[in-house]
Parts: sequence; C-alpha cells; structure tokens
Amino acid sequence: MFNIAITGEFVAFFTLSAIMICGAVLMLSLEKVVHMVISMAAVFIGLAGMFVLLEAEFVAFVQVLIYAGAVSILMIFGIMMTKHHAVEQEPSKPLHQTLAAIAAISLFGILFYAIRTTTFPEQQQPFQPGEDNTMAIGELLYTGYVIPFELLSVLLTVAFIGAIVIAKKEAD
Amino acid sequence: MQSWLNQPLTWGNVLVLFLWAVVFLFIVLGFVTYAIYFERKVIGWMQLRIGPNRVGPFGMLQTVADIFKLLIKEDTIPRKADRVLFILAPALAYVPAFSVLAVLPYTQNLYFADLNVGLLYYVALSGISTLAIVVGGWASNNKYALLGGMRSAAQMISYEVPLVISVVGVILLSGSLNLRDIVAAQGGGWFWEWNFLPQIIGFVVFIIAAVSELNRTPFDLPEAESELVAGYHVEYSGFRFAFFMLSEYVYVYAIAALTTVLFLGGWHAPAPFLDFVPGIVWFLLKFAFIVFFLFWIRATLPRIRVDQLMALGWKVLLPVSLLNVFLTAVYLELFIKN
Repeated sequence: MFNIAITGEFVAFFTLSAIMICGAVLMLSLEKVVHMVISMAAVFIGLAGMFVLLEAEFVAFVQVLIYAGAVSILMIFGIMMTKHHAVEQEPSKPLHQTLAAIAAISLFGILFYAIRTTTFPEQQQPFQPGEDNTMAIGELLYTGYVIPFELLSVLLTVAFIGAIVIAKKEAD
Repeated sequence: MQSWLNQPLTWGNVLVLFLWAVVFLFIVLGFVTYAIYFERKVIGWMQLRIGPNRVGPFGMLQTVADIFKLLIKEDTIPRKADRVLFILAPALAYVPAFSVLAVLPYTQNLYFADLNVGLLYYVALSGISTLAIVVGGWASNNKYALLGGMRSAAQMISYEVPLVISVVGVILLSGSLNLRDIVAAQGGGWFWEWNFLPQIIGFVVFIIAAVSELNRTPFDLPEAESELVAGYHVEYSGFRFAFFMLSEYVYVYAIAALTTVLFLGGWHAPAPFLDFVPGIVWFLLKFAFIVFFLFWIRATLPRIRVDQLMALGWKVLLPVSLLNVFLTAVYLELFIKN
C-alpha cells in the first residue's frame, strides 16, 4: 500500500509536515493572539524546511527572513500596539461551524481523490535543480521577468510612501 | 570536513556529526566564558582598574563562578506571566544564535556547512532572535519588560536593514553568497586586496550596524544598566537569564567571525610571504582583534542618545549603504566587466 522507503528525506518530510500541521492547528485553536502568531511562525519555518528538501535554498531562507522573521514581528508589533484584549471571545455559532467542517472535509476529499487518480508522466531525466539557484533566479528576474519585477518595485515604493504620508498625517 | 559532509547519511555519520556539534558547542561556551572575562579585564585596564582578580589565578575562574551562581539561583516565573512563552523565549533566542555559526568557514578545510546561500542563512536566522526578544518581553507581563522588548526589536530591525545592504557590495565583488567563496575571492595577495579597503564604506556601515545589532555600547539603549530598569529580561533570573546573555555573546562570536570572513580575508595571510603560517592562526588573530575592538569601543565611547539612535540608522546608515551598492555596481560595470 505504502510503497515508500524510509530515507532521511522521508523522515525530514514527515517531521516538517508534523511541525506545519501542528502549527496550523494550534494557530486556529489557541485563544491568545500572540500565541497564534508564534504557531504561525512555526508553520513558516516548517515550510522553509520543505523548500530546503526541494533544494530551493534561496527561497527557503527568504521564507525564513520575510515570513518567520519580518512578518511575524510586524504582526506582534501590530497586536501589542493596538489590541488591549489579549483573548478574543467569539460567540459560538454551531450552524456556521458545521457547514465549515463539511466544506473542509469535502475539499480534502476532492483534493485527495484528484491526487490519487492523477498519473504523473514519467520523467525522461531525473529532476536537476539548479547548481546555484540564487544566480538562476537573479538571471530570470533581470531578463525574462524584468518588467513585472520593476512594476513590483514601483508598487512597493508607492506603498512605502503612502505609509509615510498616513503616518505623517496622524502625527500632525 | 568536506569528506564527512558528502557521505550518505548513516547512523554512524549522524553520530559523528552530532559529536562534532557537541564539541563545537563546548568551544563556543569556552569562548563565551573567556570573552566575558577578557571584556571585564580589558575594560578594567582601560579605566585604570584591575578587573576581576580574586577567583582562581588572575581571576580566571570569575566567569565560571558567575555562571555557577546563575545556574543554582532560584528559577522564578512571575505568577501573571504567560508561562509557555516565558519558558520558550530563552530557547528561541539561543537556537538561532547557535545555528548561524554553522555556515562560518574557519579555514580552507575546516567548516561545518558548505551552503551556497550562507550569508542569507545567517541574516535570516538572526532575525528569529528578535522575535524571541519581543516574545520574552511580552510574556513577562511587565510593562518595563514589554517596553524593553519593543525597544530592542525596533533597534535590531532598524539596524538589520543597513547591515544587510552593506554586505551587498561584498556579494557583488565576489559574485557569491557562499561564505567560503567570498573568502576565496579575497585571497592570494596583500592585505589591501581584502574587502575592507575596496568596500570601505560598506565596512564602516557594517561595523556600526553590527555593534548596534549586538546591543552593545554605544548602542546599548535597550538595556542601559545605569539609566533603565534593564530591558526585556527584567523578569528573568537564573539559567533563563543566562540563556539570554549566552545568546548575546554567541552573537558576538558570530559577528566577529562574519566580519573576518566578509571583510578581513578569512584565513588568508596579510602578505604572500607569510603563507607558511597555517590559516587558522590568521583567522583566530583577526577574530580576536574584532572581539577586542568591540570591547575597546565599549570602554571608550559614551552611549548615544535615544532620539539620535533611529535617526542614525534610517537617515545616515541606510542611504550610505545604498550609495555603496550603487558605487560598487558602477565600478564593476565600468572597470571590471570590460
């Protein structure tokens, strides 16, 4: 049934999956918002580990830098600066919860069925990840994808200036 | 090391690699113990005092006694603290501090990981420590700890940006994020071919930002002991407090080694005729000099004012480091590429 060999990669995959699933479940079930952010950071780190397994080191460490580091800290700052009630009490909505559970289970069923029935094409040659994938990403960004890249930079600059303008208005 | 790293993973290899990590952990702990001792001695001499001289010969066992005191102290957790995060935070601070040491190469053959994004790995993991500091400050449920945590985090984030941008020039020059390749690119000549002279702007920005990242004088505002009620660790005692201190000194080790690797030519000799001296000696000399330099500025510089701190980071260091990237790119385009 499970035609798999126990290799280091396999063990690492399941450890990381366990970290990510635990983090995700805790994120939903914990009550304090700061705890939720920490468990979400665990998901991000697990995801980075998955990228390492796929030999995409650059994406993996950017994931740690941006999501596990910057985004988590930003969220914690936001929560600490704005929210006075650490615990959020939500009224229980049984109908809503039942419907959500049914939707989640059917989504899982559909995905599982689709994955099990798909036949993946045999690969002609084994997958060869880039020897230096940082350089490969850089070359692609500055040749094929240079216009989207520049548009994104403009968007970020606009957002940055906008944030400064809003903060300035509040300060005055 | 290379032969160990390239072998398939068997239980025997796992054991050997684990033992290496343990040995390395003890080396780092020894470094931290004696770095604290030398820090107190050096600052003592610079201020015309003697420094610790009571415990053991020349006071050599003073730090050991201090650590022992911390370990046997009562471990207090405030009743209103958030217990889980309060316990988790010191470990969360220490784990990335020790993990970043994995990518630092010491000589041609002595290194623990040959990662082609080594520099990015360092930067990414050291960001997690900031998270630990904020969490520790928040979990203490004490307004001074929370304020201290916020301040540390704000400072560390603000100075991490120029720190990262200042090394982009080095990456441009050597064309790699692998720390071993960065050292290799500086080799074979005199000491003025190391990155610190071609990248003098980047080097200065890097040193300033690094001192600030380490929360050391003149940027030790988050825990300025003579002005404040400590910082994020005000509620911590015993070995949890020791863990925060330990990760701070492990970062001193990491930054000193990283500066050596990025700007001071790693294991290369300062002159071609000095090549007969083993590389590890040169590495350790440069490393020791950086550590001494950190103690030196702590002993001689006054603390920066709090309103100047953020302005220096964002309005001076960041534009200067961006200018450095621009100048390096122009230089490479005009003179090297053709």
